[in-house]
Amino acid sequence: MQAPDRIGIGWRPALAAAILAHLDQIDVVEIIADDHFGASARDLRALDTLAREAPVVLHGIGLGLASCVAVEGRRLEAMARLVDRLHPLFWSEHLAFVRGGGREIGHLAAPPRVEATIEGTASNVVRARSVVGASPLLENVATLIDPPGSDRDEISWIRQTCRAADVGLLLDLHNLHANAVNFGFDALATLDGLPLDRVVGVHLAGGRWISWGEHRRLLDDHLHDVPDAVFHLLEAVGTRAPRPMTVGLERDGAFPPMEHLLAELARARHALAVGRARRPRAAS
Amino acid sequence: MSPRFEAFVVRLYTDAKLRDAFLVAPRAVARAAGLSEAEAVALEDVDRPGLELAARSFAAKRQGPPNAGAAGRRRWRLWPWRR
Repeated sequence: MQAPDRIGIGWRPALAAAILAHLDQIDVVEIIADDHFGASARDLRALDTLAREAPVVLHGIGLGLASCVAVEGRRLEAMARLVDRLHPLFWSEHLAFVRGGGREIGHLAAPPRVEATIEGTASNVVRARSVVGASPLLENVATLIDPPGSDRDEISWIRQTCRAADVGLLLDLHNLHANAVNFGFDALATLDGLPLDRVVGVHLAGGRWISWGEHRRLLDDHLHDVPDAVFHLLEAVGTRAPRPMTVGLERDGAFPPMEHLLAELARARHALAVGRARRPRAAS
Repeated sequence: MSPRFEAFVVRLYTDAKLRDAFLVAPRAVARAAGLSEAEAVALEDVDRPGLELAARSFAAKRQGPPNAGAAGRRRWRLWPWRR
């Protein structure tokens, strides 16, 4: 029997008590790995408790795998220690670079979409797999800038990178939506260009418009509600992606009452169920 | 595309003075930073609004999101994971 889809939420200190009180409505909890690389013994014991109470997944934000530069071994070793300790359903990282030349960007930057970053990512994934003991899922990122130096479109680059690295895809639907509205493509129409057979995880989030002069772009800030367009994308992914999926809501601040977040989870569960119900019978 | 190219892009995102100079003379500044002619040419038609907005967004992230409280700021302090 195929494993079920799971709907969950990101572990944040401000939400911790509310998450633990509502595990009947939360199938999985996503932990930001980097927040715990230097954690105290007490903090790690709290994570142990969480992992006993609910299935967890680990999400990296600082490895910078999508780069021509080799990922740092000490960061992979820290990830490996957490994976060994918490036994997550999977671990994941972004299709992004985060540093270079001794400088930290402070966030996820979309790499140039070229052959060199495809090869660099694949090489870093081989290293990560070797140290951590399991392949990461790789997540598409939002970008406010058309990545300089690129020679191909985002969807082609993601498809080629996932194939070269032989990894599953953590498809962030708000990132896809934001890039679509910022750079003028139809997110729904591009779904079939993505390797949907590799989608194992999905992220949902919200954002806000920012501007520079007359130019407006949608920023993926994780501080706002998930927009309708993202739920529509989830429905479509539910129809087209064959594998069981773990869907995670990302909220980093401006926290509404937990009931509001639970309502978003319920809406995600409904959208995915509607999409699944539309799958041709032979394909389900 | 090279590690040197990546490092230069990181500086464009994080160094306002370099960014200002680059936007005046992109090819010359890129070449002066040691990029190859092909890499400098690849940067000439950079997405300028995107560069400004991305740089601002990254700077805000380094400060921590205003509504995220101590957790958001702690994440950035941990991110570089200084020894």
